[in-house]
Amino acid sequence: MARTVEFTDTEFMIAQGARLLEDGKTFFVGWGIPQIVAILGQRLYVPDVIQLFEFGAVGPQSVLPFVRGTMGGPQNTYRSIQWLNMNWAFAYSASGYMDYGMLGALQVDPYGNINSTFLGGTYRNPGRRFAGSGGGNQVASHCWKTIIVIRHEGRRFVPKVDFLTSPGYLTGPGAREKAGLPAGTGPYRVVTSKALFGFDGETKLLTLLAVLRGLDPEDVVKDMGFRPPMSKDIEEIPPPTPEELRLLREEIDPSRFLIRGEWMSASA
Amino acid sequence: MNIRREGDIEYRFEHPDDFRRFVQEQKSRKAEPKLCPAKEAVSTFVADGDYIVYDFSSLTRGPQSLIREVIRQRRKDLWIGAEFTLHESALLTGAGCATRIDVGFLGYGGYIGQAVCEGRVRVYEWTNGGLALRLLAGARGVPFLPTRDLLGSDHMSASAAKVIGDPYTGLPVAVVPALHPDVAFLHVHQADVYGDARIFGTNLFALEAAMASHRVIISAEEIVDPEEFRKDPMRTTIPYFLVDAVVHAPFGAYPGAMPARYELDLPHVDILNGIRNEEQMQTYLHENVYSVADHEEFLDKRVGARKMSELRRKASIVEGYR
Repeated sequence: MARTVEFTDTEFMIAQGARLLEDGKTFFVGWGIPQIVAILGQRLYVPDVIQLFEFGAVGPQSVLPFVRGTMGGPQNTYRSIQWLNMNWAFAYSASGYMDYGMLGALQVDPYGNINSTFLGGTYRNPGRRFAGSGGGNQVASHCWKTIIVIRHEGRRFVPKVDFLTSPGYLTGPGAREKAGLPAGTGPYRVVTSKALFGFDGETKLLTLLAVLRGLDPEDVVKDMGFRPPMSKDIEEIPPPTPEELRLLREEIDPSRFLIRGEWMSASA
Repeated sequence: MNIRREGDIEYRFEHPDDFRRFVQEQKSRKAEPKLCPAKEAVSTFVADGDYIVYDFSSLTRGPQSLIREVIRQRRKDLWIGAEFTLHESALLTGAGCATRIDVGFLGYGGYIGQAVCEGRVRVYEWTNGGLALRLLAGARGVPFLPTRDLLGSDHMSASAAKVIGDPYTGLPVAVVPALHPDVAFLHVHQADVYGDARIFGTNLFALEAAMASHRVIISAEEIVDPEEFRKDPMRTTIPYFLVDAVVHAPFGAYPGAMPARYELDLPHVDILNGIRNEEQMQTYLHENVYSVADHEEFLDKRVGARKMSELRRKASIVEGYR
């Protein structure tokens, strides 16, 4: 009989994100959960990944445990191969050297456009105000492939974002190039706490690719603000491995401040 | 103060010729001692209505002692160019000092988000890349610089960035106007009395901000012999002739970390993160700013020698910071 694993939805999101990283490639890493995804991936699967932080840390190998809330501290920029500043960091992405970008989001729409600025109301009179772009707009504009990491809540997937902070495919195929954004760039995967989405090569629409083992794809999409197309063969994603969970809980975030979330279970 | 308005959007702008004239006439090239107390630096170089920019954040190497001094002197109607604005904007807004913020990244905690929603502070959305580029344009003496981001996003209507046809290809490209702040605050590891300064580790736009701003106030953990800079020029971040005042401020980044010098004071940062309402804000400001005469008294009475030596001890990563 299969063993049952218990984990939080956040732990699953981080673990499946870490498995997507490609070794020997460059990753422009956004603030928050993407940092943890990159650290876990680098420790377990992709030792030769080159991380880039927007304030100019090139190729850091973070010291654990992760210091929550910070990005520019010595733990997080440890053993970089170069220390620069903001204008040079964005030069790396703008000149085509960043293979992947990884960003969190408040809302995502069917074309992978990201809102991280406000919810409800208008820009002048927002309902709730959040941190906004930071360097997210640059990451999503410049990197060849952008990975979005977002908690799987129906209200976060909306037909139209309240504020378009960081560009996905804008209004559809060809729209990025028409706007003047670098050719051949755009969102690549959306990693959630239940599922994995990609973008259809022709329509550029967010498409369900895989769900956590044991979940029904219909249940996964039913609360979303729009119905995404489904891939022909929806794959199943294994739950976090013992090693992923051990690293997250014992080494990366022993205070369990960042990895807390709703408890889930799945068969290993 | 030069403010331009386009519809809803106002932005700070100064033609490069006006800034160049200021640099020619008002910025002394003489190596003169500029060491002075924070009180004097702020009262001399920061006026009501000024545009202020600073390097890094309240968690890492931010000029926190200078920001507390601005609050203590109750400056009004400041406009902040905030690449990372973690607790700085919340404190400056809560103290009634700031009325406009160009962001950046508007972190942390509920207070500042609430202030934006209530309209107590106006926020313009340039993004981190956009703000860094505006300062680079200012430093390079050009009225604007082009970039291939911002395009297609709602930042085009929440800032004064524009789309133009690239004169070489005809394709659309975004442009952002040069920024010339009134004052730049930089907290550094080492400075000499003339203003030569060294930052160890990464920075946001320390040199760009120093070159593009009218006045530059350096606060330094350590004051070193000017000869040190001549011996090792690769390590100079800012040369003295950009600088107007030097403040000796050990623990000047507190409660944030100074890489390789002292660690972040997480419990204090959690107090800042927990500020949700006006009462909590005013209590914090009273306790940590208004009720102490200056940074030295703050360290002595509110932080304490024991805490400082503990934070120094925790800063065990020194590799690379020299």
